[in-house]
Amino acid sequence: MRLLVIEDDLTLRESLVRKLVEAGFAVEQAADGKEGLYFAEEYPVDLAIIDLGLPGMSGLEIIERVREQGKTYPILILTARDRWEDKVDGLSAGADDYVVKPFHFEEVSARVNALLRRSGGWASSVLTAGPVSLDMSRQELKVADNAIELTSFEYKIIEYLMVRAGKVISKTELTERLYDQDFERDSNVIEVFIGRLRKKMDPDNSIKPIETLRGRGYRFALERNQSD
Amino acid sequence: MGSLSSRLLIVVSVLLLVFFGVTIVVLDSAFIKAREQAQQDILDGHLMALLAAAEAGEDTLVMPPDLRESRFGNLGSGLYADVRDEDGVQIWRSRSSLGLEIPEGTFPDMGNHLFLDEALDDGTPLATLSLAVQWEFPDGELRLFKFKVAESLDSFNAEIATFRRQLFGWFGAVALIMLLAISIALRSVLRPLRQIETEIGDIEEGKRSSLSEEFPTELTGVARNMNLLIGSERARSDRYRFTLDNLAHALKTPLAAMRALLNEKQSVEFGARFNDQIDRMDEIVRYQLRKPASLATENLGLASIPVDKEVRRLIDGLRKVYHDKSPNIQATVSEGLMFRGDTGDFLELAGNLLDNACKWCRHEVRITVEPAENSNASASGLQLVVSDDGPGIPEEAADALLQRGMRLDESTPGHGIGLAVVKDIARSYGGQLSIGRSTLGGAEIVVTIPA
Repeated sequence: MRLLVIEDDLTLRESLVRKLVEAGFAVEQAADGKEGLYFAEEYPVDLAIIDLGLPGMSGLEIIERVREQGKTYPILILTARDRWEDKVDGLSAGADDYVVKPFHFEEVSARVNALLRRSGGWASSVLTAGPVSLDMSRQELKVADNAIELTSFEYKIIEYLMVRAGKVISKTELTERLYDQDFERDSNVIEVFIGRLRKKMDPDNSIKPIETLRGRGYRFALERNQSD
Repeated sequence: MGSLSSRLLIVVSVLLLVFFGVTIVVLDSAFIKAREQAQQDILDGHLMALLAAAEAGEDTLVMPPDLRESRFGNLGSGLYADVRDEDGVQIWRSRSSLGLEIPEGTFPDMGNHLFLDEALDDGTPLATLSLAVQWEFPDGELRLFKFKVAESLDSFNAEIATFRRQLFGWFGAVALIMLLAISIALRSVLRPLRQIETEIGDIEEGKRSSLSEEFPTELTGVARNMNLLIGSERARSDRYRFTLDNLAHALKTPLAAMRALLNEKQSVEFGARFNDQIDRMDEIVRYQLRKPASLATENLGLASIPVDKEVRRLIDGLRKVYHDKSPNIQATVSEGLMFRGDTGDFLELAGNLLDNACKWCRHEVRITVEPAENSNASASGLQLVVSDDGPGIPEEAADALLQRGMRLDESTPGHGIGLAVVKDIARSYGGQLSIGRSTLGGAEIVVTIPA
């Protein structure tokens, strides 16, 4: 998934980005408000992490502009100002959650995962559909209670598809959201990974978790178990 | 002190009273003096007529039976006369005095007029004039006689009474009219003062931001200075908050960066201890920076904010933050209820309480904001009650928090800082915080802010 981080403090931003990449996200970063707004408006983004105190343009303004444009991806605000006035302002402007500085990275990644899951319509951090269950906080995939060994890229693909269970995801979207910018964009690679995933999750081809729609993309086809 | 207008009215009334009193006394005495003089002149005239009418007899004076002045002949006419000889023996008396005893009085020196105030036996006051004359008789003997005329003062007194009645009547009426006119004038003179008062009240209630410029010259200075004061108070509190914001951002971002760096290095024990220090610094900064804004503003120039709207904004925000838990938040806010104070302070009060409630509740959170007892909806006093169905706050912890207050070095990160902030803010508005158990089963926090 592709995240956008807008934070002006270099040390903090770099460290945050590094850890998010380690956690398996593709990350864009911006150091000031104007640049941040450009990324937020023009790039395909699944979630934005925005600092409220930015040079150039305040985080609040970015959020308002992004929401005015009808973008609905979740926004997590980082704020140094701990007063409720600031939090409420941010949340009313269109943010979905906040983290107060100084934070532990685990706090941010927990919120990010929760927001992503929520934006896919899942209520819990363990996504279950049929015999398949995906624990996003542990990055663990199980089929009928058997843990499946996945490479980090395979995990990213199944997470992306499963969070958006039921929706058709094109190959282009998958490459865009899952690779970092300078990655070789070859859609054949996606096909290969999907093939491997199918083999690992469904060796005897009985549950058919991933459906291919010719010319359109892929879909996680199992019914969600959660009533939410 | 009383009001300016009543003080002015009192002063003016006293002045009027003194002025009219002196005038009345002077007029009264002048009138009486003139009347007395006239009375004496009349008596003198009567006396002269008597002298002219008297004739010498053999050895005494003889008076004609009918005198020119008919009142001497009418019984009880109020005008009396008698003549006495040297020994005080009455040798003649006017018919009008029949049955009455004209007081003898003193014998004046020869040729002297003597005016006296005397009285009849029945108490009727008399003005009398006596004159001693020497009368030469045909035998060449000179005898002394005393002629005396007396007039009842009844009519005189009645006249004076009438005069006084009229005097007091007119002056009373004039005084009343003047007082009325003055109080009306005062009202219009003092109207600008009342206007300033109303406008300051409006500023306190947040209905206007500064005093208007339309005041009489004497008050423009006051109004201008008042506006300057309000402006500088606002600027000061804005600056204060701006500084705090900058400070927060300046301090916390480096803290966040330090923590991030530290976590990367992963030198477990050192990292943990360093992290503890960062946590403590964070707590200190957080607590100090969340202190009530009103400390700096002393409530001057603070607008009233609609409680209803702010509570709704808060709940909308919290529903997002607690999306996964999705607690059932029920809000009851009295219609039109206003909080007189800083928006941030109110959000801090309600926000911390609601956040705690959402954090600890199982499913139910309730917030009620209503006018405080003994105050109506237009006043700013209010009572904020937040309750939940969570585990509640143990009594010892509640007592400790309420008695001891927040001591930075003793605080444990993440515990009670919200409540400590709420308590501080409530206190800065002269209010109270109490912790109890709600009917939902969990904690119930009641914050009362007086008007």
